[in-house]
Amino acid sequence: MHSKAEILKWVIEILANEFGMDTAQLRPETRLEADLDLDSIDAIDMAVRIEEKTRLAFSGEDLDSIQTIQDAVDLIHARL
Amino acid sequence: MDGPIERRWRIVATGSAFALFGIGGLAFAVFAAPILRRLSGTPLDRERRAQRLIHRWFRAFMAYMRFVGLSEIRVRGVDRLLAPGPHLIVANHPTLLDVVVIGSLIPQLDCVVKREAWSNPFMRSVVAAAGYIPNDSGDRLVDRCVERIEQGGSLLIFPEGTRSPEGELGPFQRGAAHTALRSGQPLLPVSIRCDPPTLMRGQKWTDVPPRRMRFSIEVGDPIAPPTASADETRGVAARRMTAELRDFFAKRLQYPAVRARRQPAAAKPDRHERPGCIPRPKS
Repeated sequence: MHSKAEILKWVIEILANEFGMDTAQLRPETRLEADLDLDSIDAIDMAVRIEEKTRLAFSGEDLDSIQTIQDAVDLIHARL
Repeated sequence: MDGPIERRWRIVATGSAFALFGIGGLAFAVFAAPILRRLSGTPLDRERRAQRLIHRWFRAFMAYMRFVGLSEIRVRGVDRLLAPGPHLIVANHPTLLDVVVIGSLIPQLDCVVKREAWSNPFMRSVVAAAGYIPNDSGDRLVDRCVERIEQGGSLLIFPEGTRSPEGELGPFQRGAAHTALRSGQPLLPVSIRCDPPTLMRGQKWTDVPPRRMRFSIEVGDPIAPPTASADETRGVAARRMTAELRDFFAKRLQYPAVRARRQPAAAKPDRHERPGCIPRPKS
């Protein structure tokens, strides 16, 4: 069973690798669109990486519900 | 500076220009569009014919603007725009006239246009006949832009997505960079300066400038997408190309402060997605 801390690490790693972000800027309360400037193409890329890592599929509604990094962690944790 | 007579003339001339533009749009809908639809050829042929007609109209309109003393255009590097295509043109967007100014220079031009144009009675027929691309966000928009580039035409994109805030550059969206990445076509930056600044977002049309508007257009060096061997994700590459693009404009426009990030979604009324959430990718 994966802990939320571990999932948080995954998500931060994906954001850092996929978008060249500085991990120091990535905290649970960081907002994906407002703070990190993720757009809809980035959302696709992020979803693909998360799906590769977790073998989970996420719907459009799922992604709509994610505002912060913590939201992404919670969603993944709930599905695993 | 304007005296009262000159200012009154400018207001009249400006009013006539708006009226003329509106009439042009309606005339296109009533006369030109039906004829264009009946001419033979593929949908692409019909769109290109419409685009060429629109170019002639834009040229005539800018000639009128010059004739009544409202504006003039100076261009550096126009050869780059007129060389055989395709061209992926990215421009800043200081005024209401930018599409008309650029369109008056290029015989056949595709454009990414705000979705609202399809609801505007003066513009709807024109944008539909020309096959312009609505700026519904995301992946599908990029696919349509790539398709246009692969057809060999010239495509104009405003990365700011809307007119610049007064005196500065707005935040840049990355659709143009993604189009460059997917198609392999370099970005061709075109800076637009309008002096004195006018027809900006939020201005009333009666806020006429005190003297003739001078549009200074400069075509820059192409910004090439990374080669296939470059070890960069598309998220990183799109950000890097967009930053380079922004640098080009910032240097040429010399605005005092350049905003590096996008505003939170709530501050942008044109967005279609719910504010605060990451945008839903279009399937």
